Amino acid sequence: MPQRVVVTGLGVVSAAGTELDPFWQHLMAGQSFIRPLAGFSCAGMEGLVGSEVALPPEDALPPWVDRDATRARCAHLALAAARRALGDAALPADGAWRERAGCVFGSTMAEERQASALDDRFAAEGLDAVDPGFLERADPFRLTGAVARAHGLGGPALMTTTACSSGNAALALGYDLVASGAADLVVAGGADTFTRAVFTGFLRLGALSKSFCRPFDKRRDGVTFGEGAGALVLEGLEHARRRGARLRAEVAGYGMSNDAHHITAPEPNGDGFARAMRQALATTGLAPERVDWVSAHGTGTQYNDLGETRAMKAVFGERARDVPISSIKSMLGHTNGAASAIEAVACALALERQAVPPTANLEVPDPECDLDYVPGQGRARHVGACLNLSAGFGGFNVCLVLGRAP
Amino acid sequence: MTPVAVTGCAALTPLGDRVDALAEALAAGRCAVLPQPDLGGAGAATMGDFDATTYCNVRGLRLYSRPTRLGIAAVAVALADAGLEPAAVAGEGLGTVTASTFGHLETLFEYDRSVVAQGPLRGNPALMPLALPSSPGAAIALSFVAKAFSLSLSDGGAGSLDALGLGARLVAEGRARVAVVVGAFGLCPELQAAARRAELLAPDGAVRPFDRRRRGTALADGAAAVVLERLPDARARGAEPRGFVAGQASAFSADPAGRAAALARACRGALSASRVAPAEVGLVSAGAGGSVEGDRAEAQALVEVLGSAAPFTPVAAVKGNLGDAVDASGLLQAVVALAALRAGKAPRIAGLEAPEVAGLGYLDRPGDVTAPSALVTATSLAGAASALVLTARHDG
Repeated sequence: MPQRVVVTGLGVVSAAGTELDPFWQHLMAGQSFIRPLAGFSCAGMEGLVGSEVALPPEDALPPWVDRDATRARCAHLALAAARRALGDAALPADGAWRERAGCVFGSTMAEERQASALDDRFAAEGLDAVDPGFLERADPFRLTGAVARAHGLGGPALMTTTACSSGNAALALGYDLVASGAADLVVAGGADTFTRAVFTGFLRLGALSKSFCRPFDKRRDGVTFGEGAGALVLEGLEHARRRGARLRAEVAGYGMSNDAHHITAPEPNGDGFARAMRQALATTGLAPERVDWVSAHGTGTQYNDLGETRAMKAVFGERARDVPISSIKSMLGHTNGAASAIEAVACALALERQAVPPTANLEVPDPECDLDYVPGQGRARHVGACLNLSAGFGGFNVCLVLGRAP
Repeated sequence: MTPVAVTGCAALTPLGDRVDALAEALAAGRCAVLPQPDLGGAGAATMGDFDATTYCNVRGLRLYSRPTRLGIAAVAVALADAGLEPAAVAGEGLGTVTASTFGHLETLFEYDRSVVAQGPLRGNPALMPLALPSSPGAAIALSFVAKAFSLSLSDGGAGSLDALGLGARLVAEGRARVAVVVGAFGLCPELQAAARRAELLAPDGAVRPFDRRRRGTALADGAAAVVLERLPDARARGAEPRGFVAGQASAFSADPAGRAAALARACRGALSASRVAPAEVGLVSAGAGGSVEGDRAEAQALVEVLGSAAPFTPVAAVKGNLGDAVDASGLLQAVVALAALRAGKAPRIAGLEAPEVAGLGYLDRPGDVTAPSALVTATSLAGAASALVLTARHDG
């Protein structure tokens, strides 16, 4: 029998805050954190905006990761979120738990900046630009490896790369590892930062917003990027109870699907989203009428927001307008592989605090997007169960199911 | 875990693109690793004449990176081996799990260098989506219309066994009727240069798994794929299982001093999940590839896990023949192990003359495989360890 899996620790590093209370308060207020970028630039591109994270001094990057923190920004963010989640879980000081503790992180781009740094020198230096540390620095697994090493975790260590659903995929795999008994607990999440490839690529694909992220708004014109990380400690219910852990929420399971439609464009009718949601409900035995909130992928592109709306209608039918669905990307921008992990943290807080965050910047309704997107400000309401929906380039859809702590 | 049947296999390596041809080449002791002048004599095993269109014709193939094309070809071969028409299996019943850590790099370099050279508004937009670590998995799912799920893991050398364990679990749960697990790795000059400068490559080009004289590895082109189905589904369509995935487990140690213990934990986890006792292991298909520390840790882990059976359990290590095809290696070892379980014979370890760690049944000549279970092991440079148990039969 699979074990029940509970959330015993939460960690987030985002522009809206690096601690849970300010993060939640800022989200509930509908405050946008999109600003002109100070810490990232791209030659030939002016006026870049996004949401940036300011890490406090106690998050200094350990020198064994890299002496130069700019060369490991993604791992740095992952470490900061994981440290908070594990601290929040208040695990015993003796450390005996570490051997059966796993780590699963996900990222869209991981440390792609390392390839860009090499490319800046490649024209002049050719293969001499490749230094002995390149392989280690450019390895996507560096995020997971850094977190597992920092905390001496000896259980399964996996790195999911399913583009912008990577965080949710990491949480789904972490859930599996705990539910199946392969690990007593897993710290799982996602991290991402800005890269040249993604900024220039989205610009060329016409998917980068010329203003700012406005999910579900008629004027929406694309994504705005952000950086950050989210991490959750997933633990077997019995294990958590034995040690008297604070139970923040339950992960009931997940659904997955793939659009197999196009390398970038989502399936226009939201069929992939709908199949992931239906599988999530079917495998967890959750009746659709017990879903009280959906944390949307909500990127602010025409296709995504319309597809997601159609999927809601396909899954919830007549009741679709009664299920609030909101996108916190309206405040944080799209943090890529971190997004669904940060959103999972928001789900756990929504369940705990019995309120749902809003979709900010939603002012001009789109007749085709006609659901309750919680515009403007968050609202108090009963949240017994929620879905955390995510998608990525390549059609990778993952829907996580969270419920109140038992 | 519910036993899941392997109903199709593919191994694309420099020693051939058929599993039986690979088995013959390994039995004959052939070695694909050749010294490379541009690597100062360090070795590589290359598939210079690989052409994905020989295996299938899917949209976008021309744009995809070489590792992606290798992966797509491996899936096509594995489906054919399973007797499944790609068009018939496409759709909501098909899932894919891809192991790829570096399969996007050559496209990322190509895209990013075009931005450096021509400016941010001139990069080829068709390349950017293929420059992400997820792109080989995305392209594979798209090529075969795998709508049930497509997951992508980037766990380095441990990844393809992690992927196989994951794929088997998802099929056992009924999340797909058919899953294809694929690992692919293709050489590119930057990776070769990086591996050489990190002193991972044997300077003389000789890969000597477990040997006292080993000085490093050689990177290799390669791809492997397996088709997974629940046994009743396989039987219902008259498919003959090649073997069964009985269990898989993973562990981690960043500290080199803890890596033997981490791999031992993974092995014990996989054996325990499979309800296979160490003495019932008929073959170890080891990941050893000539790394000074890595091979020692692996040998120590196997001695510990196999216990009193260690000296009598045959150990194969095909990286001596094939080099290290990082993201594909674990699956290649698994495919070789399945063939060995069926044939009752396993190949000797090429390049091994004088083992460093005593107490294991290293195959110094082709050996008999008499028990129906195989243990497959894989590790990554970062410290991830993965172990898999395959069985020839299923009593149920």
